Amino acid sequence: MADGHIEKVEYWRWEESRWKNPEIPDWRGSLVTAGVDIGSTSTQAAIMTDGQLYAYASIRTGSNSPSSAVDAMNWALEGTELTPADLHYTVGTGYGRVNVPFADSTVTEITCHAKGANYIYGPTVRTLLDMGGQDCKAIHCDENGAVTSFMMNDKCAAGTGRGMEVIANLLAVHVEDIGEMSFRIDAEPPPVSSICVIFAKTEATNLMRSGWSKEKVLAAYCHAMALRVARLLERNEMQLDFAITGGIAKNSGVVKRIERLIGAEALRTDYDAQIAGALGAALMGKALHEKKGGKSGRRREGG
Amino acid sequence: MSTETLFEKAELRNSSVKAWKEQGKKIIGTVCCHVPEEILHAAGAMPYRLRATGVTDLSEGDTWMSTFTCSYARGTLQYLIDGTFDFMDGVISSDGCLMAGRIFDNWKYVDGNAEKKEFYLKQIAAPRMNNENAVRYYRDYLDQMRTELGAYMGVEITDEKIRASVALYNETRRLIRALYDLSKSDAPVVSGTERLKLILAASSMPKEEYNEMLKDFLARAGSRAPIKNYRARIMLVGSALDDPEYIKVIEDKGGLVVTDALCFGTRYLWEPVELEGGDVLTSIAASYLKRPVCPRMVDLHDEFGDLIVNFCQDFKVDGIIYERVKYCEIWGGEGLYFGEHKGMKEADVPLILLEREEIMTNIGQLAVRAEAFIEMIEK
Repeated sequence: MADGHIEKVEYWRWEESRWKNPEIPDWRGSLVTAGVDIGSTSTQAAIMTDGQLYAYASIRTGSNSPSSAVDAMNWALEGTELTPADLHYTVGTGYGRVNVPFADSTVTEITCHAKGANYIYGPTVRTLLDMGGQDCKAIHCDENGAVTSFMMNDKCAAGTGRGMEVIANLLAVHVEDIGEMSFRIDAEPPPVSSICVIFAKTEATNLMRSGWSKEKVLAAYCHAMALRVARLLERNEMQLDFAITGGIAKNSGVVKRIERLIGAEALRTDYDAQIAGALGAALMGKALHEKKGGKSGRRREGG
Repeated sequence: MSTETLFEKAELRNSSVKAWKEQGKKIIGTVCCHVPEEILHAAGAMPYRLRATGVTDLSEGDTWMSTFTCSYARGTLQYLIDGTFDFMDGVISSDGCLMAGRIFDNWKYVDGNAEKKEFYLKQIAAPRMNNENAVRYYRDYLDQMRTELGAYMGVEITDEKIRASVALYNETRRLIRALYDLSKSDAPVVSGTERLKLILAASSMPKEEYNEMLKDFLARAGSRAPIKNYRARIMLVGSALDDPEYIKVIEDKGGLVVTDALCFGTRYLWEPVELEGGDVLTSIAASYLKRPVCPRMVDLHDEFGDLIVNFCQDFKVDGIIYERVKYCEIWGGEGLYFGEHKGMKEADVPLILLEREEIMTNIGQLAVRAEAFIEMIEK
């Protein structure tokens, strides 16, 4: 504040990331498929070679969905041997799935998340919780990652990533620190409103004024989010194994509370659970490409 | 006659309504399909089923009704108050559901005309059970309606007139069943969106004219382009659905709606009224009460389940979309028992429950659910 201005910190801003599979140093595969998941809050691009995850990128969805798709894909391709011309088949998914300019087809994020979770967590997953930026889905799937039933909640930002971002900004806590901070409490406080994110924000403000610590307020908020999600899982008759995808899967404050409420542990993974949708889309791309009898091989060389 | 001419009759203020009024004749609005239109027709009035199709403003409905009232009912009241239905000369409601009753109550309270002699207002009770006592009770209300409506219209509603109206309506029912038969094919020539428009037309125009137009449509149906590029065959069940746009969202995603169990669908005019030799009103009462129309009939649950199972087989249904308007009294809790029917369990047809509001503000939410469901059941 030396120059008289308050430094503007975007506490909600989570770190954008990219990854390239170190076990596939050079692309030697024959079939390249990609998935682009344009969510309300984040966009992911995943590239698979011969059904193996090769690279991905995760960025914030901007105001222009098509350019977000292009940016995510270009970043995922960066540092690889591949160019967009090498992609045999690309599937768009997420709420902006029709806005992926280079997609060959679209598949809903519900189908893609189940496929992606099957890849990430293995074939034992039967209930999947996808906690996204603006909605939450409880999905049942079989050993192949095919959806057998699902239930969605998208009536309000409460219980979603966007709601968490609002609280991060309100309490001036970096969104990635919320989970760990929410456990620095003596006893679990009662939850704030889980019906409406605006009510929750108002409640959180009042609790701060009444002397609650940030940690306690965060615990109350994570508790509320977990309660809302647990109800969705109960309504959809949860079956084990259980796994979580989406950005909130990275928030231990919510995940551990969900586990406590439902009495079951979610499967863990070294993958970034936020890319499940894009990864599933790339897998769907492989299946769709093969179904239509599409050719493989290096497209640039083979024409 | 072009198909568009018939689809135009699905509009709320369609050309048949205008022509009817220009002749100085009366239109009586009905709420719920438990108001036997045959009696209104026999009186020389044009029955018109009130609905909320395309409503975008619920300000009047919200003012007079609780927000816990379903948006279909609030939308219908909205149209009564805001003048959309200013061509009505009366309203007859049954207590088909609590919401239907509240449309009547509030309209009676709000509208000054309601107390005047030039506006006919009547509520009849339709029992929720099907037995002899219920038929007798319902028949008494129909008799009241016959007497009062006859006085209002200045005519005597004779048995002969009612019998003639029943014959006309049974012909409408036969034609509507023939319309649905078109969708049993693997490549139907009518979409679900179009079919709902045709049913809405039936509810909003004189049946004499409708029968001729639908007959003509069916005769020419063979020349329509078959629909082959669908991904799954869908059956719709649930709350009163009067908006073709809702079905269009599903069909745009590849889910061809081939049949339904909806009161603006097969449950409107389907089972013929069987006139036996005896009292004509008793025959109408008995025919109306034994229809498995919706879960309101507490002792026809098995029959309703059987009907859905049979439709699934006849129309080769891949999946059922169960849509319920938020706060729907009839369909709100039915979802808990829906899959318990023995035949439904055996048929094991995939099912999804979707909540709906009359105002179509949630198209994206519907689209993603419908598309994911179609991806799930697609063969």
